[in-house]
Order: sequence, then C-alpha cells, then structure tokens
Amino acid sequence: MKRVLVVDDAAFMRLAIKTILNKNGFEVVGEAENGAVAIKKYSELRPDIVTMDITMPEVSGMEALKSIRVLDPKAKIIMVSAMGQEGMVREAIMFGAKSFIIKPFKDDHVIQTINKILSI
Amino acid sequence: MSEQFSNEPLLDMYIFETTQLIGQLEECILSNEKSSCYTQSAINEIFRIMHTIKGSSAMMMFENISSLAHSIEDLFYFMREENPQNIDCAALSDLILEGIDFVKVEIEKIKSGDAADGEASALIDSIKVFLSILKRSNASTALTEDKEQSSIKKQQYYISSEKVKTSAMKNAFKAVICFEEGCEMENIRAYSIIHNLKGLSDEVFYIPEDIIDNDESVDVIRREGFKVILKTDSSYERVHEFFMQTVFLKDLELTQLDNDDELKQLSRVRQAATDQISKSQSSHKQDKEDKGTENKGLDSKDTQTVSTQQSIISVSVTKLDKLMDLVGEMVIAEAMVIQNPDLKGLELDNFQKAARQLSKITSEMQDTVMSIRMVPLSATFHKMHRIVRDMCKKLGKEVQLEIMGEETEVDKNIIEHISDPLMHLVRNALDHGIEPPEDREAKGKPQAGIIILEAKNAGGDVLIIIKDDGKGLNKEKILKKAKENGLLHKSEGNMTDKEVFNLIFLPGFSTKDSVSEFSGRGVGMDVVTKNIETVGGSVSVDSVSEKGTIITLKIPLTLAIIDGMNIKVGNSRYTIPTISIRESFRPKESDIITDPDGNEMIMVRGKCYPILRLHEHFGVKTDITEFMKGILIMAEVEDKALCIFADELLGQQQVVVKALPSYIRDSKKISGLAGCTLLGDGSISLILDISRLASLKKVSI
Repeated sequence: MKRVLVVDDAAFMRLAIKTILNKNGFEVVGEAENGAVAIKKYSELRPDIVTMDITMPEVSGMEALKSIRVLDPKAKIIMVSAMGQEGMVREAIMFGAKSFIIKPFKDDHVIQTINKILSI
Repeated sequence: MSEQFSNEPLLDMYIFETTQLIGQLEECILSNEKSSCYTQSAINEIFRIMHTIKGSSAMMMFENISSLAHSIEDLFYFMREENPQNIDCAALSDLILEGIDFVKVEIEKIKSGDAADGEASALIDSIKVFLSILKRSNASTALTEDKEQSSIKKQQYYISSEKVKTSAMKNAFKAVICFEEGCEMENIRAYSIIHNLKGLSDEVFYIPEDIIDNDESVDVIRREGFKVILKTDSSYERVHEFFMQTVFLKDLELTQLDNDDELKQLSRVRQAATDQISKSQSSHKQDKEDKGTENKGLDSKDTQTVSTQQSIISVSVTKLDKLMDLVGEMVIAEAMVIQNPDLKGLELDNFQKAARQLSKITSEMQDTVMSIRMVPLSATFHKMHRIVRDMCKKLGKEVQLEIMGEETEVDKNIIEHISDPLMHLVRNALDHGIEPPEDREAKGKPQAGIIILEAKNAGGDVLIIIKDDGKGLNKEKILKKAKENGLLHKSEGNMTDKEVFNLIFLPGFSTKDSVSEFSGRGVGMDVVTKNIETVGGSVSVDSVSEKGTIITLKIPLTLAIIDGMNIKVGNSRYTIPTISIRESFRPKESDIITDPDGNEMIMVRGKCYPILRLHEHFGVKTDITEFMKGILIMAEVEDKALCIFADELLGQQQVVVKALPSYIRDSKKISGLAGCTLLGDGSISLILDISRLASLKKVSI
C-alpha cells in the first residue's frame, strides 16, 4: 500500500482527502495542520507522496514544499489549491511540486493525479 | 469535541469546524470593531477563515455558503494585497456580521437535516459593491501597480530560457496535447509540462505563449490543445514517454520534425521581443522594492497575536459517554467485589491492601474521565459579546461586558443547558436593568453601564454570576404583579426582600408593561429556572434599588458520580450526598419539640431544625420509630436545613447516579428523589434530593 501524508489546516479537508484515499487503497500515515508540522512529519514518516495545501498559517505550503524538497529531492508533493491561485500553483511547480489538485475536487481527480505521479 | 449530527463523519466534521471558524471570525470582528480598524493580522486571519469555509462548503455542495465566503474572501484579499486607506470599518463590520449570521442559520438547518436553502445573493451583491467602492476610492495606485506587476512577470518568463542561440540538439519534435475536460487550470498544467521539459530539451517554444498570466490561454488550450515544439537529443520513444506522464492527458499528437525551419523562425521572434522588454526592466524593479519596504513598516505596528497551541484531539461525545458509563459500572463492580457478602467476617489483610489500591486507581480513573468531559465556559461567555453589541446598538445604550473566571470548567452536558438561560439573563440586564445613557448621567452614574459575567467554583458546584449596575429590581412592582397574577402564597409582610425578588422566577411573571423584541413576554425567567433545574442547579437573585441586580446560577460540577452516605430504613436503602451532610447524631427524646400542627423539630446549638421521618415520607415499614433507636442526620443545602430520621448509617461510598427510570417518573410522582444507584451488595438505593426535602419541611418562623 502506498503511504500518504496529508497536509491542510482545515480538519475537514484532511478528513475529506483521507476518506477518498482510504477508499482507494492508500494508507494515510500522517496528517499535518501547518507547514512546520508537515516538514517534521515528512522526515519522520518518509511517505511515498504528500498532499499539500497552499494557504496555511505559521509555515505555508509553499515554504514546506521548498524545505521538504531540500530534505528529499525525490519527494513527490501534490499541491492542493483553490481556483484563482494559478500564480501560486505555478510557483509551486517551479519549486518542485509534481502536480496539483483543485478544490472542490472529485474523488477520481484526486486518485488519478496521485496514481499518475506515483507511477513516474 | 465533536457531536454526532448525522451518520456522516464528513458532515459532522464540516459542521464542527465551520461552527468553530465562524465563532473565531465573530470574535475577531467584534474586537477589531472596538479598536481603530482591521489590523494586518486580523485581515489575514479573516481571509484564511473565509478561504477555508469557501473550500469545505464547496466540497459539501453548500453553494450559497461557498459563494458568500468567496465574496468575503475576495474583499479581504484586496484589503490584504492593496492595503487600502479609506475603509468604512463600521459598514464593513456590519456586512461581515450579516454574513456570519447567514452562515449560522444555514448550519442550524444542516444540523437538523434540512436543506441549506438560504438566499445569499443580496448580501453577496452588497459585499461586491462595497469592494468596488473600496477599489475606486483607492484606485490610482492599484491600477498602475497591476500593470507593472504583469510586465515584470512577462520578463521573467522570457528571460527564463537562458540560451538565446538556437540549440545544437539533433531532434526536433512537435507535440499537441489535449487535456481531459473539467480538469481545470490547463494553463498551469501546460506550464508544468514546459517546466519539466528542461531536463530533455534546451530549446522550447509553445502556443499559446502567455500561459502564466493570461486566463484566456486556458480557453485556447481547451479549444486547440497545447502545442509544443522542442529540440532534444532524446529519441521519439523517450519524448513520447515524457508527454504520456502528463496528468489528465486526453490526447497526444507527437510528430518528429524533419527540419529546423519552424524553430528558427520562432527563435527570431522571441529574440526581438526580449530586446524590447529588457529596456524597461530596471525602472520597474526599483518601484517594486520601494513598495516592499512600505508594507513592512505597517506590519510592525500590529500587536503579535500569539496562538497557544495545545495538543488537542477531537473525540466524539458518544464515545466519551460510553467511557463514563463503563467507569460508572466499574465503580459499582469494584464495590461488589470489596463489599461482597462472601467476604463477611473474614480476616483478609492482603486482600484489603490490594482492595485499597484498586479503589485508589478506580477513583483516579473516575476523576480523569470526568475531567475529560469538562469544558471551560469561555466559549459560552464569549458568545455574549455579540448579544451585548447588537442590543446596545438597537436600544441606543452603552454597555461594557466584563468576563471573569471563564476558564472555570463545567461538564459538557451541562454547558448546553446554560447557554440559553445566560443569553436571556444578559438580555434582561440590558433591556430592563441598564438605563439609557441620559438617565444614567442624570443619576450621576457613568454613561456606560457594566455587566459582569463571573464564574467560580464553590465546593461541588459552579457559580455563574450575572451582575449589572442598572436600576435594580422594583420590589413594589414585583409584589403588585405577583398579586395580580395570583402568585403570592405568603403574606407580604412575611417576605424578605430576597424572597420578593425571587418571585420573578415564577411562570407567567413579567413587570414589563410592553413586550419588546427581546424580553417581556413573561416566558423568559421561568424557562431560565427550568433549564437550570434540569441540570440540578438553582437560580437566585438579589438587588439594590438604583445600584443594580445580581443573579446567581448554581450548577453542579457533574451529575454522574457523587460521594454518598448510605442509610437504612426498614428494608430500603437510601443515599444522601455527603456534601450535604453536616452531622449525624442520636437525639434524646427530650430534645424533640412538636408544634401545634404536629411538625417535629429539634434544637441544635440554639437553632431549630425540622425533622423528616423517612419511613413516614416514603411509606416504608420499619421497626425503628423511636428517635433514640434510630439516627438523625442533619443535612443542609444553601440556606435550607433539615434533620432526616433513619434506622442506621451503613457507610460512605462513591455512588454512580442513575436517573430514575421514566416508567417510575411518569407513573408516580415521588418528591425528594434525585436518582438511584446500585450498592455493593447488589441492592438498589434511592438518592435523596435534600433541597427538595428541605423545602417541604421549611419552617415558617
């Protein structure tokens, strides 16, 4: 089973993503509510892939992305954004995010994106 | 802690989190309203909250809430980015509060399982209008900034291809990529391809070109696909494999180009464009740096709001209730082991030692589980800020709300029963108690009235005090109204001031001549009393004319487990809460006084206490009817005291309070029972309601 770290400051969003992942045979090995916790958990858990919300308090998703990529250049991180955040998503890709999911998302969008990135 | 509103955990989480965020938002608005206007950190917080609510509401298909949140998010995004100077803070606060109220109403509908069908379009329009006015009055600076931003970005994009000369790589390919319908942000997906292509190719051209800024490029890509021309040393297979890795790829057309002509042409076009733009680069960069330092200056003025992050998890209340029940059962089971009749008369030193250890652990476990269910009153108290604010506005009064002891904790079950009564009492204080500013001034009082909400621990109870410095209660008016409604049971002369004031808690009572929107319907105060009594608490009031009124709510810390003294009357067992027991003794027949009505009383250290014969009150057969053969237990609750006559004391024990089964409660009204419990030997004991029994036997002095 592929291991996933879910990062989002909204507990609801974490639960939504976790539910989709669990239903589709993924194991959510950890959750983080801000970038700082995300970096910590990444180094502890070394998941196969990370879903990362862009807007978060304390340390943002962008900062966490950069830090994790320094920590592990092979890290596969998928940004979770909302419509209208094109600029930030592009910046994230520049900093190494593999792809992105847009809220509100459908189950199959999430799974398709994750599966594609894991297969590369 | 999350409650279960539905069988869907996702919906529960949505309700829980959104409610929490709305509460945070309201507090933020109310506190920022009072100070000058919105601080940078407040704007950030509000933006984030609205962004989150927009996202989760959209996921749960609550489009109206999502659109409303979106419009507020846009508004605060503008405020965050542009830092406009002329903001009508009062109007802004009113708008947001309206939005908050809308969401609250929708959430209530969702909780009850109804459709969230509220219409937010009018409010959304008002918010959009507010934003456009804001934009216009801060117009000139904003527009020029936008232009500069986009041209700066344009440069970065062109300059990113480092080499200006054509590449020396052998192969040239042309790819046309079509994305799946509905995958969104196709321009950014296109950007992702270009970004990843760097490893394979050193010269890339693509159409549409402006994939970063231009939203129209999304339409072009959807209609005609994303076209890429590249030079690479890699094989066709490798290039094909690369493009196939694209997420949401629908179609790929990959052709190898025979010659360089197309490429060379595109390269020349790009060179010309780069030259033109690099000229204006330096001047724009300078402006951007200046603005950067300006914004920083503003931030430093903000007070740092430090969030104390405790490690908190969310637990369902049903699980906790189950845990409580189990712990309760464990207490009973423990008693059944330790007080087992099989062990009677045996010398069991080691066993006793082990039993004591078990008791110690059980009791600690109980305390811990109880403390888990305890929740501070802060949230309930803070809700009152909004009510005070709204009422002050509507009634044209000035009132300051002071909160003390909000960290005092109360059982989660009880908190729900306190909220409404508290709201009503605060409303009352504002409506009836606090005078309009002119009257206050005339009386020599400060124009702003004060309402103090205080919570503190007192023994096994929590006291919640609502104090105001208004005009106080009018004794004559109360007596008059009571007489009119036939509520006077005692003669006027015999009543203390406090007793007169407490008449207001009787059903059907109201001295307000007209019914205002907030109070005066005569259904408020007795609902307050009922709610408080449901959780086993009591309400009392005191007042001084022109100085103010104090209302005190006394609420038990928990309903579940109490320290009890077990007593025996004939074959029946009863339990008295230890906290109410003052002393117990065997009286002398000579100490007993009987009054002309046949009521028995006893003198203890100069004070007179009524005697309640339990066997008479409950109709239980017992051999012990003479005082000297049984025992008198003096019990006291607040200012009421009595002496209970029973056969003998059986011993102290921690007792799990279970409510009397509804069958019994409905079929026969027995006064004086607070519940029942199981004793160690398996027998049932009825728990006495000392307050009720004492009221029955109240001595009229």
